[in-house]
Amino acid sequence: MSNVVLLNSVTHRNLRVDATPSAHYGDDRRFVGVIVSEFPLLAVHCPLFFSKDANTGAFYCGAMLGFDESENLFLDDGRDCYRPLNLQRGPFFTAGDELAIDLDHPRVGRGEALFGENGEPSAYLKSIIQLFRDLVPGLERTKVFIDTLLKLKLIEPVDLDVAFDDGSRRDVTGLYTINQEALREIPDAVVLDLFRRGYLSLIYLMIASLKQVPVLARRKNRSFTAGLSLSHA
Amino acid sequence: MYPVKSVVIVGGGTAGWLTAGVIAARHHGRIKAGSFSVTLVESPAIGIIGVGEGTWPTIRTTLAKMGVSETDFFRHCDGAFKQGGRFARWTTGADDDAYYHPLMLPQGFAEVNLVPHWLVRGNGTSFCDAVTPQGRLCDEGLAPKTITTPEYAGAANYAYHLDAGKFAPFLQKHCTSALGVRHVLADVVKVNQAGIGDILSVGTRQAGEIAGDLFVDCTGFSSLLLGQTLGVPFKPCDDVLFCDTALAVQVPFERPDAPMASQTNATAQEAGWIWDIALPTRRGIGYVYSSRHSTEDRAREVLARYVGPRIEGLKIRKIPIRAGHRETFWKNNCVAVGLAAGFLEPLESSAIVLGELSAKLIAEQMPANREVMDIVAKRFNEVTGYRWGRIIDFLKLHYVLTKRTDTQFWIDNVAPESVPERLKNLLHLWKYQPPWFFDEFDRLEEVFPAASYQYVLYGMGFRTEVDPDDMVGTAKAAMRYMSETTAIVAKMRTQLPKNREIIQKIHEYGLQPI
Repeated sequence: MSNVVLLNSVTHRNLRVDATPSAHYGDDRRFVGVIVSEFPLLAVHCPLFFSKDANTGAFYCGAMLGFDESENLFLDDGRDCYRPLNLQRGPFFTAGDELAIDLDHPRVGRGEALFGENGEPSAYLKSIIQLFRDLVPGLERTKVFIDTLLKLKLIEPVDLDVAFDDGSRRDVTGLYTINQEALREIPDAVVLDLFRRGYLSLIYLMIASLKQVPVLARRKNRSFTAGLSLSHA
Repeated sequence: MYPVKSVVIVGGGTAGWLTAGVIAARHHGRIKAGSFSVTLVESPAIGIIGVGEGTWPTIRTTLAKMGVSETDFFRHCDGAFKQGGRFARWTTGADDDAYYHPLMLPQGFAEVNLVPHWLVRGNGTSFCDAVTPQGRLCDEGLAPKTITTPEYAGAANYAYHLDAGKFAPFLQKHCTSALGVRHVLADVVKVNQAGIGDILSVGTRQAGEIAGDLFVDCTGFSSLLLGQTLGVPFKPCDDVLFCDTALAVQVPFERPDAPMASQTNATAQEAGWIWDIALPTRRGIGYVYSSRHSTEDRAREVLARYVGPRIEGLKIRKIPIRAGHRETFWKNNCVAVGLAAGFLEPLESSAIVLGELSAKLIAEQMPANREVMDIVAKRFNEVTGYRWGRIIDFLKLHYVLTKRTDTQFWIDNVAPESVPERLKNLLHLWKYQPPWFFDEFDRLEEVFPAASYQYVLYGMGFRTEVDPDDMVGTAKAAMRYMSETTAIVAKMRTQLPKNREIIQKIHEYGLQPI
């Protein structure tokens, strides 16, 4: 299924990676894990929620990109919308301090070169290295943010029941958001602490992003209409 | 007016610390304000019996209310999931003779009684499998929840198996650090009473006099306060329940990842039955038998045959069981909880649940002062006496329905003079109408509800005469619930992990509070 190896400039000198967003390249995900520094970039496009890792049960933050399995409603937007780091990273992973790549990933083959003729990292590879410099500590900061909210009992489950123009409904479960009632009850000293740590703005970004759920539903409705016009053509 | 401001619990086993935790959690506000106190006096010398390793689903609410994290419980008490009991060889003694008493109610229990419908249209499916998915989950060793299910929630109803030797210290730590319970390590050498018999204080060797307004006797079999000091007699029930001895052994798993049963196994033997309880590190196995029907040597052979060659070199503990309970449980300003109140064979894990229910009743009905205490005491005695009676009836039910005649133990167990009158009447009645709501089980927080009777009765082949014409009105709903059961099994099979796998994950990652 996957063949993850450490990246080196000798063996992988001529390796190329396709960086364009595409459903065929693994971007077909309706929910993608994100880090707190991405909140301001994402909250203007899509809903942000907490969810649980199926394997460990641990909470993580994620951006909702669609309603159905493998549905990413932002794929056609190209570069107009911010693309989460977890999609931008493509076939790359970190193994300790080193960069690793999944050679069986569909992105590997054509596209951007990773190294120059003399083995120096390409601009693309440099951007990937920078991406992980943000992502790795970002994951840790996101975990601390979540732990703080859990301790304050500020996270609550939320079920989305959305109706679409074609008459179908989706009941989306397994999502969690900010408990606004509990938020109103927290003592002043805690509010101040949350503010100083930058958490208060993250909290309000998450709350504000809930308004993106109907916007996302409209995106899906447009895809029905697009389908209709196609079938008429 | 003598206000009740301080509760003194004597004895620090499972019962003592559960009672301390339940009372302290309920009265936390007053404890914090300094107007109420809970003190637990525990002997540094006397060990705990720690035989109770099985619980009922009530334990989840009890622990949650105390503010205990379920993850911590699993990690520190060798906790495991229990989804019911599997009773093998109780009816005919044959190899394939087994039934479940699961923890989930039959589907749609509040709406329709499925018993008559199953009796008429069961088509050879066992009662349990027809009405609930839980027996199938146990067959496949599946857990009642996944790692993403929050603490204390479940896809299927569940209780725990636990290491009682670890549970009491775990509760102690929580009670003293989070709930403000005062812990005194001292031996009680004297009980000081007032003229009317009320206990004023206990004198200890190491910590002087400890005074209190209400005393809870959790001193185990010795029943130091209620039995020895206040002279409340013990009421044996060995004429109904014959088992009087247990041989217990702890058997390590062959491999750390060996499958773990999701239920308590209770396998009938020639003069009693063997419990088999899976904890993450070991199985707790014990033969409960009647010494009137078996010698100890023979009992050891039976246990060894069940465990197999791995019993070689393992320590076997002999525990005498005195089946019965105190005539009353609350006298003067003293109430007994746990073994000090009584003990019955652990066939349906009734010990811890009864301790919880007693502690809850004390905590909720905590008398404001000495004047009204007798009113609460009377109520407590009525309810608790009723509960013991129903548990004895329910345990006897497992024996009285047997068709085994291979040993004198089983023959004696169906002798009419050994069956309580109330149970006899119920069995007579149930020949013509299956137990359900509107039966006599109408008390608040019945230990074993009508559903439990259904599982045992129809698991053991009991037959109730039913009139098909009487079922017309509910037939549609009943058929829907029974077909739903099959669908739920199929769905749960794809979602639920193995019992062992989820325990390992809880140890590694923990469960989330929400």
